[in-house]
Amino acid sequence: MDDVVTDIPPPSRFMLEDLNNFTPPSPPLPSPFLVFSTLDSSKSFHPSILIIAMSSPSLHFLHHLSSKTLIGTLVLPEFPFSANSVEPLLSDKSCNIYALNDSDRLIMIALVQYSVTSERSHAVAKLLIGERIIPERVLILDSVQSRNFRGKLSPDDIFAVKLETSFERRSSDTGDSPLIKGLDYFPSGSVVDGLAASLLSRCQLKKIKGTLCVSWPHFGVSVMSLVKSLLLKGALAGINHSSDADLEDEYLRFSRSKDFHLDSELYT
Amino acid sequence: MEFYVEEGKELEQNCSTLILPALSIGNVGQLAVDLLISSLKAEKIGYLDDPNILPCVGNDAYWPSPPGDLTLPLEAYESSSSALTLVQQRSPVVKGMMVEYAKNLANFASSNGKKHVIILSSLDFGRWHTIDVSSGLQVYYLSTSNIDGTDEDCERLGWNRLQEYNPSQRMWKYLNTLAEVGSTLEEDLPFEELGDEDYYPSLPFAALFSCFKAKGLKVTCLLCYCSEGDNIPEGFHLAEAASKLMGLSQDEFHGNEAGRWIIPYSWKSVYGPPADISLF
Repeated sequence: MDDVVTDIPPPSRFMLEDLNNFTPPSPPLPSPFLVFSTLDSSKSFHPSILIIAMSSPSLHFLHHLSSKTLIGTLVLPEFPFSANSVEPLLSDKSCNIYALNDSDRLIMIALVQYSVTSERSHAVAKLLIGERIIPERVLILDSVQSRNFRGKLSPDDIFAVKLETSFERRSSDTGDSPLIKGLDYFPSGSVVDGLAASLLSRCQLKKIKGTLCVSWPHFGVSVMSLVKSLLLKGALAGINHSSDADLEDEYLRFSRSKDFHLDSELYT
Repeated sequence: MEFYVEEGKELEQNCSTLILPALSIGNVGQLAVDLLISSLKAEKIGYLDDPNILPCVGNDAYWPSPPGDLTLPLEAYESSSSALTLVQQRSPVVKGMMVEYAKNLANFASSNGKKHVIILSSLDFGRWHTIDVSSGLQVYYLSTSNIDGTDEDCERLGWNRLQEYNPSQRMWKYLNTLAEVGSTLEEDLPFEELGDEDYYPSLPFAALFSCFKAKGLKVTCLLCYCSEGDNIPEGFHLAEAASKLMGLSQDEFHGNEAGRWIIPYSWKSVYGPPADISLF
């Protein structure tokens, strides 16, 4: 039986420290920063599309996209490099940034492979959008957070829904092809928090066309197939990609062996 | 804190009253502001961006159509016919940054011509010392009109001043110090042990009250006691109290509920999905 006194309250209810003006703040952390392979530190990037992947299915598919080139990384000082490999791996705690050249347009992809706390999200979102990286359109890929979702969620359900900035909605009305096709809107009354929310908020404030796609469940070959299909019919239409049964088998093994939300320094 | 105006909109100079929630038990202030925005059909005029607010996004909280209007954690609405600006807060404040957040909000209000700020919030029923069941759900208030926190308009409406307010109590005085420009929360409180009398000034409504007061604005806090649970009735109660204080007429509301209220669209799932009947 749940212990109502000591159990963590559901997200709409506050902890005592949330309602105390005199709770001391957490010790400040060093600021995150971007590192690019170019020597020109003032160079800015203007991609047609910036894709920021956080969900397991999107990370797995985009990691295996062979036509991309590593051009930079976002360093979050609280994550040490010691456990990361020289060649990027899905198991690294990193946020590598890639370029995908497709005829005359530049697509950039950021693979966020560490868990960014809500408190750090504002700073990370500022780095990824609107300073050195100034995208025309942004696509954010995350998973539905069951703690914030007010509808029914079953592990047997496979779906994705979206939220858009007002500029993206207007561009759809005027004939621009959407980055993600055929999705319903995220239901009213539920929310998305964390880095995905910070990124989409930043797009809205900076008047950038932005789309957030959240998928369910967190793991599974079916949801990976769904996300892959959405990308190949939308933002990555026409892009060369490697796809075969091995990718799905590998993902099945990967998602069985790793919980993306476990983050233990013991194993670095 | 930066204010981003929606395209084609601007802050109306005649909207000199600001209504906003203070985070509290049962989210009552936020529920009340939701009701006011929905029922006055207030227009969204912009967003406030503050690094001290945790991020969240969602679909339109008030209307099912047009679909997909994005909601951010801190939004400003206006009802020019009622001369009101309303700010809704949807997510918590970063731990330890409540006073900084309150100062930023006070700067926004003061630099945008607000004269009167109404803060809606709730208090923990478990802390209620003098239980008076004769008058139903009572509204308590705190005002800058007089040094002791009283206000004639609130008294005329039959509300009780928050008795636990004592401006010379050490934590209220410490809050006043923090509310001044350049002051920051010390790592260790300058007091050894906190007692019962330190509880009320520790609450978010007190930080907002002190910071708005420090800017020379008139501030009225409207409060009610509640427990965690279905707090929609308390939300209605505070919204009703705010509309009485503002002297809003029936014509300014557009709803059918109890003659005036429109239930926000997002409230249909406020307590989650219905139980799985296959269990039975």
